[in-house]
Amino acid sequence: MREPLHASTRINLEKVELLLVDDSVPSLNLLAQVLVGFGVTNLTRADSAKAAQTLLRERTFDLVISATNMAGVDGYELVKWLRRGALEANRYLAVILVSGHTPPSHVFKARDAGANFTIAKPITPKIVLERILWAAKEDRQFIECATYLGPDRRFKNDGPPPGAKGRRREDPPQALRPPGAQAQGGADPEKVKP
Amino acid sequence: MNTVRKFRAPNRLSMLVRADGGVMAKDALAAADAALEPLRAESLAVLDAALAEIESRFGKSAAATRAAGVYQDLYTLALRIIDVSGFLPGSCVDQAAISFCALVDNCAEADAWRWDAVDVHINALRLLRTADLGPDQRRAVIEGLNKVSQRGSKASEGL
Repeated sequence: MREPLHASTRINLEKVELLLVDDSVPSLNLLAQVLVGFGVTNLTRADSAKAAQTLLRERTFDLVISATNMAGVDGYELVKWLRRGALEANRYLAVILVSGHTPPSHVFKARDAGANFTIAKPITPKIVLERILWAAKEDRQFIECATYLGPDRRFKNDGPPPGAKGRRREDPPQALRPPGAQAQGGADPEKVKP
Repeated sequence: MNTVRKFRAPNRLSMLVRADGGVMAKDALAAADAALEPLRAESLAVLDAALAEIESRFGKSAAATRAAGVYQDLYTLALRIIDVSGFLPGSCVDQAAISFCALVDNCAEADAWRWDAVDVHINALRLLRTADLGPDQRRAVIEGLNKVSQRGSKASEGL
């Protein structure tokens, strides 16, 4: 569970190099105003993913906030590219995606893009600030394999249920269940013999 | 064999955010709200213009020509409403526009317009934007829209 935003939390975004990407001008303006309100002074805007790619090849940023629904290259493709094709110094930077609607056909694309967090539009300053703080406190390791490069997509460390596909060697032998809950399906393949 | 590498990546944002100075979250939020305020009228004008364009290109008044409309165009107009609907908290306009996006996406998947459902969404958006409705009434409108937009979709068929 990630920490909710506290009124007294201190945040300094003055020196953060932030790239904001959205091909919707009204949306770009709203997000920019929110970020300026937060004290961001080094804000660069890009009105397309292509323009963002050019910037990410040339300059170093500390945070990218990008819309997902964009004509041409969308936000998911931008992040996927960023993790492998951007300037070396930009490949592991924090990325927050902002989405108005995610079609069911894009759910896996969204999951596999490699972003740190996603925000649903319409944006509210509270959620934007909270996600920036979450990104700053990101403690997930990066995973790199043939099909994915980005923060570990698992937010919890339970792993899938014992016996299910996708479990890792380091997953706990017993999935974390409420006290007294029975394991499903009888025999537990992860159970260690005495 | 698929090699998986796990590693800790440097997080520059983390170091910068914790630097001396800065502001408290409550002050940052208040400043952001104040910074947004000048965009209120402009944003609501964008919302109304998007709704008007949806009606003129995809509404009943365009019955003779709307079949030639492009799914992506209507989807983009509905997204534009979502973008700026934060200035109408509690109105449920954002949720109606999200349902509209889902409907258009389903239509695009099936490559077939459902004009009755499109008309219902346009009417609902207009109603939510202009009528003096209570929270329960607004919620009922959204529940109805979600049923309409999901009807016939793969999700509603459990696929």
